[in-house]
Amino acid sequence: MAKKAPSIDTKNLTAVQLMELDSCTRCGECVKWCPTYAASGQKPGLAPRDKILRWRQFMNKSYGIKAKLFGPTEIPQSELEEFKDDVHGCTTCGICATVCESGINTVELWEAMRANLVKKGIGPYGKQNMFPKVIGQYHNPYMKDQKDRLNWVPPDVKIEDKADIVYFTGCTAGYNQLALAFATSRVLNKLGIKFTMLGEDEWCCGSALIRTGQAHIDDVPRQLAKHNVEAIKKKGATKVLYACAGCFRASKVDWPRLLGEELPFEVIHVSEFLAGLIKEGKIKWVKPINKTVTYHDPCHLGRHVGVFDAPRYVLSHIPGVKFVEMERAKEFQRCCGAGGGVKAGIPDLALGIAESRVKDATATNADILSSCCPFCKRNLSDGRDSLKVDIVVEDVIEMVAEALGLETK
Amino acid sequence: MAYFSGLSETLRLTFVQIMIFSAIAIVIFLYGMIGNLQKWGAGVTGYGLEPKNGKGSAIRFLKTWWAQVNEESHIHGKPILEVLILDILFQRRILKRSPLRWFMHLCIFGGWMTLFALSGLMFAVEMTEKIGIELPFTPAEFREWLAIPNYIFGYILLIGVIIAVIRRLFISEVRQATIMYDWILLAGVFIITISGFIADGIRTGFIWGFGLDPSTAPPAALFHSIISLLFCIAYVPYSKYIHVIATPLAILANKGGE
Repeated sequence: MAKKAPSIDTKNLTAVQLMELDSCTRCGECVKWCPTYAASGQKPGLAPRDKILRWRQFMNKSYGIKAKLFGPTEIPQSELEEFKDDVHGCTTCGICATVCESGINTVELWEAMRANLVKKGIGPYGKQNMFPKVIGQYHNPYMKDQKDRLNWVPPDVKIEDKADIVYFTGCTAGYNQLALAFATSRVLNKLGIKFTMLGEDEWCCGSALIRTGQAHIDDVPRQLAKHNVEAIKKKGATKVLYACAGCFRASKVDWPRLLGEELPFEVIHVSEFLAGLIKEGKIKWVKPINKTVTYHDPCHLGRHVGVFDAPRYVLSHIPGVKFVEMERAKEFQRCCGAGGGVKAGIPDLALGIAESRVKDATATNADILSSCCPFCKRNLSDGRDSLKVDIVVEDVIEMVAEALGLETK
Repeated sequence: MAYFSGLSETLRLTFVQIMIFSAIAIVIFLYGMIGNLQKWGAGVTGYGLEPKNGKGSAIRFLKTWWAQVNEESHIHGKPILEVLILDILFQRRILKRSPLRWFMHLCIFGGWMTLFALSGLMFAVEMTEKIGIELPFTPAEFREWLAIPNYIFGYILLIGVIIAVIRRLFISEVRQATIMYDWILLAGVFIITISGFIADGIRTGFIWGFGLDPSTAPPAALFHSIISLLFCIAYVPYSKYIHVIATPLAILANKGGE
């Protein structure tokens, strides 16, 4: 009789990640901090600890000692489907990795599990499966014409043909949240920073595909990364500025890995760039913002890459700003709920998490909830509207523009 | 009553038994550990890859782990020495989260590992003498020297175990989340610790002897030794005890974690 095949395989899961499953001591810290678990009404399957337990059981049933001696135990398809739903109900915010006593790199683990299941034909979740086709075809997730990439650029903004600095707008700022693009470009102009843009050669950074476990489909993210890097090289830039935390993370972490080489330019978030200019005394503020401001760390900028201080430095140097921290800040921040494909796949869950975060902000009595990511801004705005609370949600760069006397419309 | 691990003439049977059980425990451990290494080695060697064949390989795991340890980290990496001392030995990741749980775990870790090392040292001395190499002290003398550190670390272990049991039993969120996987680990540590104290108490007539006949000391010691071999060695690869090996490896691979 032929030996049964294991119900799961190990595609995308590294040998170290498989070991990490056995390193979990089930201390429960991840459960305490997980924003999706909390916002779901503590659905057990969403707890990171539970996901690790289940995949460990899957592994033992398929490749453990008993499986080796007596053959693999079958895992019902329904269990795998249920697991798929749970692993996609994660914003990949990374708080579980921060608090993990075993030092497990959980974000990479969830993404690997997602990719593994997608390769098996299980998942992704809901509308997320449109990403590869749409992004592969249009090179942006909004099905917009690439020729319209620079349609937003107002007449007063001066963009060089070639420059040492490229401003990588990102699809969301370039097509939907134009205030971010207006603010960034005008601030750079005002400060006398010469910059160029990629225009129709700016393709999606690929973040949505990678986060949802679809990086392998038609090799789209690698093509996107390759194209963008080539386009940046053609511009002769040595620095690339990002105002979108998702694009920043993808460029800084994912692109080198996809391409298998270091990038030939420096990847900088605009908040880091501005903090540097403030330290050099190169920013002359025009207008105070007499408001109490709190700051939400985007997961992709903070926990994923470690940029915590620069946005705070910028905010606290804007004249008139009274800066206050939320109870959960920096590496212990609560995710806004938009990441990891959750906004697209499970919008209700994303909204629930956003509401929790807005409540964190309103508890500080802040007038403005600022952030450094268009996705955070969008989801936090939705959370605010849902709660019907009086707080302005604004990107740090928009506040900088305002304090420099610039329009963001 | 003078005996140490059953090496006296009258307790030769115990020594033989211990040797046999040790050998069996080590074989069971090695079989399970190779199985685990092969299971881990069924994974891929790098980001986004697919396994080359269906079979797991212990060598592949070790190579992948080593490569990750040596990989340059752009973001969260810490020097390996810092990770070894602060994250693995001092366990600062636990301290950051919960000082009580850190104290508990450090008591168990420190007590367990030190007693394991002291037992190994005693065994080495006995074996050295057994094969005819002369030492400046007798095994009996050496055993007496170890008595105080054995007591100290035994009580350190006991404190940790008591805190662990109380947490599991009386903190509702911990109790509710506890599964058999956790209970077996805790029960093993608890039985080993208590049986060690009782075996020693019967021999010395101190409080842990509970007035039992000193002639029961050898079987009590034998029980303690066998149960220790079972949980400390043989059962490690098949249970939550595997975290003793996997967690330091994970922390090292992730350079201390985020």
